[in-house]
Amino acid sequence: MKILLAEDDFASRKFMDKQLSRYGECDVMVDGEEAVDAFMMALEDDEPYDLACLDVMMPVMDGYQVLKAIRDIEAQKGIPKSKRVKVIMTTALNDERNVKMAFELGCEAYAGKPIDVEKFEKVLTKLGLI
Amino acid sequence: MAEEFNTESMLDMFLYESGQLLEKLEGIILEKQDADCFDDADINEIFRVMHTIKGSSGVLMYENITKVTHKLEDVFYYLRESHPDDVPHMELVEKVLAVSDFVTAELDKLKNGETPDGDEKELVEDLDEFLGRLKGEIKKQGIQMPQANKHVEPTQFYITPVAGEDSHFYRISIHYRSDTQMSNLRAYSATYALKEVAEDLLYTPDDILSNEASADVIVAEGFHMLLQTKSSKEEVIALIDSSEAEEINFDELTKTEYGNALGEFGREQPAPEPAPVKKDKADAAPEKKEAPKPGDYVVKTKEAGKGKTLAKNQPKQQSIISVNVEKMDSLMDLIGELVIAEAVVLQNPDLKVPGLELSNFQKASGQLSKITTELQEVIMSMRMMPLTNVFQKMRRIVFDVSRKLGKDIELEVVGENTEVDKNIIEHITDPLMHLVRNSVDHGIEEDPADRTSVGKSAKGKIVLEAKNEGGKVYISVKDDGKGLNKEKLYQKALDKGLIENKPMNEFTDKEIFRFITLPGFSTKEEVTEYSGRGVGMDVVVKNIQSISGRLDISSVEFEGSEMTLVIPLTLAIINGIVVQVGNSPFVIETASIKEFVRVGEDSLIHEPSGEEYIVLRGECFPFIRLNEKYDLPDSIDKIEEGIVVVLEHEGSQVCVLIDKLLQEQEIVVKPIPPYVKKVKGLSGCTQLGDGSIALILDIAGLLMHDGERR
Repeated sequence: MKILLAEDDFASRKFMDKQLSRYGECDVMVDGEEAVDAFMMALEDDEPYDLACLDVMMPVMDGYQVLKAIRDIEAQKGIPKSKRVKVIMTTALNDERNVKMAFELGCEAYAGKPIDVEKFEKVLTKLGLI
Repeated sequence: MAEEFNTESMLDMFLYESGQLLEKLEGIILEKQDADCFDDADINEIFRVMHTIKGSSGVLMYENITKVTHKLEDVFYYLRESHPDDVPHMELVEKVLAVSDFVTAELDKLKNGETPDGDEKELVEDLDEFLGRLKGEIKKQGIQMPQANKHVEPTQFYITPVAGEDSHFYRISIHYRSDTQMSNLRAYSATYALKEVAEDLLYTPDDILSNEASADVIVAEGFHMLLQTKSSKEEVIALIDSSEAEEINFDELTKTEYGNALGEFGREQPAPEPAPVKKDKADAAPEKKEAPKPGDYVVKTKEAGKGKTLAKNQPKQQSIISVNVEKMDSLMDLIGELVIAEAVVLQNPDLKVPGLELSNFQKASGQLSKITTELQEVIMSMRMMPLTNVFQKMRRIVFDVSRKLGKDIELEVVGENTEVDKNIIEHITDPLMHLVRNSVDHGIEEDPADRTSVGKSAKGKIVLEAKNEGGKVYISVKDDGKGLNKEKLYQKALDKGLIENKPMNEFTDKEIFRFITLPGFSTKEEVTEYSGRGVGMDVVVKNIQSISGRLDISSVEFEGSEMTLVIPLTLAIINGIVVQVGNSPFVIETASIKEFVRVGEDSLIHEPSGEEYIVLRGECFPFIRLNEKYDLPDSIDKIEEGIVVVLEHEGSQVCVLIDKLLQEQEIVVKPIPPYVKKVKGLSGCTQLGDGSIALILDIAGLLMHDGERR
């Protein structure tokens, strides 16, 4: 599986990278814009990502903007719903309204930090990724 | 700076919403428990409640809750679609309550930060079996079976963060030896090592890598870090390279201290409560009214050692904020102190110099008094809560206990919207629960025949009533059961050696009823699951007394009993009249004063036993001389020279003799300190304007004492 990880905090990035690398190849980006660029590149190379883990608070573009951009690009390219990249937001912003907004923007899961690794894995299973 | 944000997290919201739904559910159930079946509106409502909880617990992945609510939702789906007749209503009620209990228990676990690991299997099987029977019934009645309830698996999930409760907070200061080379790099390696375990890490100086001069600062002033981590002290120490360090100071901080210390490290906003990861927590409290938008969380380039700041600085307006109760309490205390301080200023002895022109001062002080009074009212109203929730719990208790004991009891609730102070609600829930249980268990007769034989309906009735009267809240539990038997109570108290050995007719009815509140007294021979362990009534009384309330008991044998909790509406501040007896000031609550009169010796009646009565306008009142009662010297003995105050308490009156009236003022009630022996007739004390201490008269106590004397 091909994974996109966008996370600007070093410690979290290291942790997530370690966790995610167990499931597949993991590309690590440090800000929101890079994440969208990487997503675009992968689409153009016809090797799209299966999973994107997006932090919310990042420089240049925040995670919600990245999520929106990704969904917009997919819509524009006419990618069917089932083929869309699965997006998991990873953040400590656990306000109900933030979570609801992210759901509306179209993420598959929203993981509060510190991340519950066990449940994270369960979600990956439910999403059919592993 | 010290504001704390308490935005509703996803989990809080789930707990809150589900809690509300369950409460509503119980409300419906208990209201309809005696009906023959649920009506369409109820079925729809229960279906909707289950559906909502199922959905949100699915998103949050609490699978046991999802399964249970899903099953019950199915049951109500069939009820809604097929309207079968002859549904076993009582069984259905029990099933719903079982589910409600299960979910409540799981929610409680979540609230306490535990994992909701309750085993749902048995309950699901139980519901399955019920559903099976229900379906069979539907078929038998020839109603068309609806299409199966389609259950949509959630497609979006919320992963709750692992509980951040056990985080430790440390302040670490490293002082390097003065000859240390490149101490900034050593400091960096310390931060690097700590990043492995850190949930949050701040340090000063914060430009250790980019500014070589920071090395000198570090040598001179030391290197300071604030660390939030799950690791223990030992683990953290092991990570820090201490080779060149002269001294490492290691302090564990509390969460609050940590929050305060953040400011010293240049973080602008204190961290909002539950967010345990550094980067996302600064400024994680978006404005309440406006929903967050993508782009609100773009961060400025991060400065080393500092928390992130959001590029878009969000205004922080909130229409509703949640406030820590402790803060409310300390505000309340402060206002209490303010009231005292106000009295100290307004009644300052310096103002009593003759010939002072004070009219401007009086105007200003009038304004001040008005504002402090309003301030008190505001803080009081902020703390008021309706009793609805407490009463809801009582409904459940009556239902549970009466079912278990096989008694048929109806509960009537009056005045559940009465508001009382939040503190008081906390204190009365347990005592009230006990009283209600007692009424169900001991009050109402076991055999309906015992009821019908004395002309009562077979169905027992308990009335739970709350009302607000004259600055007090009355909450009564009244049953129409067998009532208290005075002889039995007396005999039992005597046998157990709880009372003095004197004939029964020397006790008043009220006193006899009060025996049941003595420690170690239990009238029921057999201890039941619900009441009757002999602990209880005394605990009830103790709890109530701790909030300066009391328990009144009245009862008529074969007709029923009534237990009334009388609680002050507010604990802190009363309006009182300050009077003087001898050299001692006393305070009397204004609300209990009926009148002040001067009477002559001729209105006095002396009883041979030494008691005195006053006749006023043809009515006779007991008369107490406070100076004699409390042995106060230098006071007025002649009734013509003093003032008689007529006090009223719940319909009974008593007169007391005082020397003179001093003033009316707001009184901040302080309890009499425990090292002073409890004196009858005094309920507390307060500080007066001139700094002296005045005792507060407790009218009920005076009356009671007077009653006991006779």
